Amino acid sequence: MRNWIYVVLLAPAVWSCEKTVLLDLKQAPPKVVIEAQVTDRPGRQFVKITRTAGFYDSGETPRITDALVEVEDDLGTVFPFVHNPNDHPDSAGIYLPAAPFTGVIGRTYYLTVVADGQTFEAQDKLLNVIPIDSIKYRVNPEEAKDPKDKGKIYELLIFAREPQEEINFYLFKFYRNDSLVYYNDSDIYGSDDELLGEKIDGVPSPVFYKLGDWAKVEFYSLSRQGYVFYNDLWGLLNNDAGGMFGPIPASPRTNLTNGALGFFQVSALKDFEILLE
Amino acid sequence: MQKFTFLLLVISSQLLAQQNFTLNGFVRDAQNGEELIGVSVYIPSLKAGTVTNAYGFYALSLPRGTYEVQFSYIGYKTQTLTLDLNENVARNITLQSEALVIEAITITDKPLDENVIAVQMSKNTLNMSQVRKLPALFGEVDIIKNIQMLPGVISAGEGTSGFFVRGGSADQNLILIDEAPVYDPSHLFGLFSVFNADVIKDSELYKGGIPARFGGRLSSILDVRTKDGNNRETDITGGIGTLASRIAIEGPLRKEKSSFIVSARRSYVDVFLKAADQDNLVYFYDVNAKINWRHNNKNRFFLALYGGRDVFSFSDDFGFQWGNLTSTFRWNHLFNDRLFSNVSVIASNFDYKLELKDPVQGFKWISDLQELSVKTDLSYAANAHNELTFGYHLTGRRFAPGRVAPNTSGSIFDVVEIQHMYALDHAFYISNRQWVGDKLTLDYGARLSIFQNVGKSQVYLYTDPTDNVNIERTDTLHYKTLETIKAYINLEPRLSMRYLLAPGQSLKASYNRMVQNTHLMSAATVPVPFNTWSPSSYYLKPQIADQVAAGYFRNFNDNMYEFSVEAFYKDIRNVTDFADNAEIFFNDDISTEYRQGRSWSYGSEWMVNKTKGKLTGMVSYTLSKVMRDIPGVNLGKPFRANHDRRNVVNAQAVYEVNQKWTFGANFTYSTGRPITLPAGKYEYGPYNPDVITDRNGYLLPAFHRLDLSVTLNPRKNLSRKWQGQWVFAIYNVYNRQNPFTIYTRTKQDKDGNVIGDGTEKEARLIYLFPILPSVTYNFKF
Repeated sequence: MRNWIYVVLLAPAVWSCEKTVLLDLKQAPPKVVIEAQVTDRPGRQFVKITRTAGFYDSGETPRITDALVEVEDDLGTVFPFVHNPNDHPDSAGIYLPAAPFTGVIGRTYYLTVVADGQTFEAQDKLLNVIPIDSIKYRVNPEEAKDPKDKGKIYELLIFAREPQEEINFYLFKFYRNDSLVYYNDSDIYGSDDELLGEKIDGVPSPVFYKLGDWAKVEFYSLSRQGYVFYNDLWGLLNNDAGGMFGPIPASPRTNLTNGALGFFQVSALKDFEILLE
Repeated sequence: MQKFTFLLLVISSQLLAQQNFTLNGFVRDAQNGEELIGVSVYIPSLKAGTVTNAYGFYALSLPRGTYEVQFSYIGYKTQTLTLDLNENVARNITLQSEALVIEAITITDKPLDENVIAVQMSKNTLNMSQVRKLPALFGEVDIIKNIQMLPGVISAGEGTSGFFVRGGSADQNLILIDEAPVYDPSHLFGLFSVFNADVIKDSELYKGGIPARFGGRLSSILDVRTKDGNNRETDITGGIGTLASRIAIEGPLRKEKSSFIVSARRSYVDVFLKAADQDNLVYFYDVNAKINWRHNNKNRFFLALYGGRDVFSFSDDFGFQWGNLTSTFRWNHLFNDRLFSNVSVIASNFDYKLELKDPVQGFKWISDLQELSVKTDLSYAANAHNELTFGYHLTGRRFAPGRVAPNTSGSIFDVVEIQHMYALDHAFYISNRQWVGDKLTLDYGARLSIFQNVGKSQVYLYTDPTDNVNIERTDTLHYKTLETIKAYINLEPRLSMRYLLAPGQSLKASYNRMVQNTHLMSAATVPVPFNTWSPSSYYLKPQIADQVAAGYFRNFNDNMYEFSVEAFYKDIRNVTDFADNAEIFFNDDISTEYRQGRSWSYGSEWMVNKTKGKLTGMVSYTLSKVMRDIPGVNLGKPFRANHDRRNVVNAQAVYEVNQKWTFGANFTYSTGRPITLPAGKYEYGPYNPDVITDRNGYLLPAFHRLDLSVTLNPRKNLSRKWQGQWVFAIYNVYNRQNPFTIYTRTKQDKDGNVIGDGTEKEARLIYLFPILPSVTYNFKF
């Protein structure tokens, strides 16, 4: 819904032109950034710890490799995390559980990170997520007219039942042959269920496929806090910097304490895979 | 009680005085019978006088005697009336427009020093004939674009109808068309305003020292009045422009008794889009209609209607529209020679609709706001030195923030509606204008605002009413229809004074308190048509502004040059703002997003106006500062308000070479708009969001632009009724790329392909209008 509003807001931009400008920016002192995830799926728990960088810096942002990381559940079980146990060159700054564990629906998880001499904490609850009943696919006529990527003109149609008696928040991810894909690089696909009826009959995917592709869709449950974070993050990524009509950009609201950026996301996960043939 | 004693004093002093007689009547344009607003009625021997009110009526109460009375008005020949006043006299005056008396007769030149003499300060009146000669964007004459050029007024930005007055935000302006409020004055997202210049008779902007009869908004009143219609002969006027065309018909229904005017305007951008084979529909239209019936000199009736709408539809799958509808019924009645009354019934409606046409994700969203008010305003000419105005206004409002419904049977959406809100607003006011001796004039009074947020409604109680993340409702309060949920009572004192230092020179000072109980639900810089409004409520407190202003006014060279300088300080309590990342749209718990705080602004405004000669125009300079301090916003630190612009220079000039050719020019310069820019970036998943620290910590580059126009009035064939006029204009003559905003994105090339590894970011400056020529043809027959 919100996305549509911004589409309309851009209407005056019909008259506009733009150009790249070099900004003379004040750089804020570096902050700790935590991206943490616990799910009910084996092997899908990680914590990534980095630092903020200058706006014009290129390459990866600095990694923090010497942090102390642990997750605890509401039964008091502690799951310590270790930095890059497999010494993978691309995984600097990524912490994995010392012993594998999976999240359990209904349980609350607590994250503690000690980095740069500061302690950052967060908590989030693992809520249930609805299953995807089925997926169909068809040619999207508008994309077929003017495809963003040649040949990729098929959209998925997703079928599910949304329980009306409870409040749910969802995050959706789309994969094409095992790669995470977005239509635009600043897209985040999520929803609350406030306006949703029970029947989700053939909601089209925002990304497109070609014949022969393996398509995968993931549904993640989010807490209200998680939904707020992703909604804010989307707003920040798609902001026109307090242009006349949009809101003024702001840091996303997070469950992390002590001024850390990022989020500790605890989710149930369901997926559905299909080969387009 | 004390505040009402002055009324008693005025009345009793008048009883004791010697017997007075009244002189009253209407002042009208001799040619078309339009009533003239603000005509100076002056008696040199008494050094006293008045001005005609919004209905062209004046009344003076004077001792028996022989008087010379002067009626003067800008653009009209001054008329002097000599009479023996030994009974009550009703005298209607007609003034000749100067345009008809050029060359032939020497004008008896009474100084038109209204700006020095009047007690009202911080007020600007647009001279419509001047406005028409100035260059306009796409050739569409727009009064709001001219309001934005006045000192103390700041344009919200290019291509918007938003304006900021003395540190107030755009929602703090009360915009009235024939007394009816217009909630969104924009067409095409603000490119044009809803006011069709062809039917506007008079528009006044009050920035300070706001009279007690106005209330409800903190920062300004824009009072636009439409023409009553020519009551002597039928006229058709119109224009064909680059973007829109318009036509107006006016004439008598019964000669000199009643008249009508109907006008319509429509844009035709969509016609071009169709020609370019695009299925998009983008248009707006306006219709103004008015009937005016002069039953006798004691009773007059008006009925005015305005309707306007914008419609956007994108290739059959997305539609959007908004519009205003207002109506005003007025009855002017003279109870006796001294007591003039005006009773108005006013209705206003604003709505917007959003529709997504899709078998699965289709929905329709409707939101509206309705207002109905009854106003009684009276003015009483107590004696030659006191003029009382008082009245009672009752307004009811219904706010329907939004309803979403599926528009197909297969839609995934449910019907969801945000509950309606209702408000009742009573306002009583009284003020007295008093001429104290030769030099001092005072205008003092007060407005009592009694505001009620009423049912039927539910109010949610929260564990923490400002926690917008984990919203925990603890209880729900239920209110029945018209049951008071919350009442707010505020007294708004108003005071203005003028002291004549010497002929053509005066000092003025004013203080006003304004209270605003209608809050705009928007976190953006400029109001957009999907904004909803909310009344003061259980959680929202009224916004209260106090403003003091002082000024020096001086005219030179027989009033050829008007000079003024004003300084002001304004302090606003409970100014309504929103939490960072606030969810304004369709939020049942929107009260958790409210953040009210303080705003303060101060500044000075300088203006020189040349009113006569071949070259006329004005130059103005405004130096001002606006800050906000809102708990819970910007980490509780004060920040520059969105509408802060430190330096603003505006100039307008019209040069009439001869009756055939006229040149016009506009120049504007202002400090750039405050903007929030990143202080770094970070990684989260596949994203590279910006690090945001200070709100409005940067300024966009300065904004400046020059526009030029040429008006050609082909030589008139006096025997023909048809009069034509060409206006050629160039907007943004030196093609300045004026910044609209800056946004950031992943570094990419022209075709949208990411450059490098996708970690690099870049800032993009958006600018709007390049150099734009336009041609408009206006006609009258």
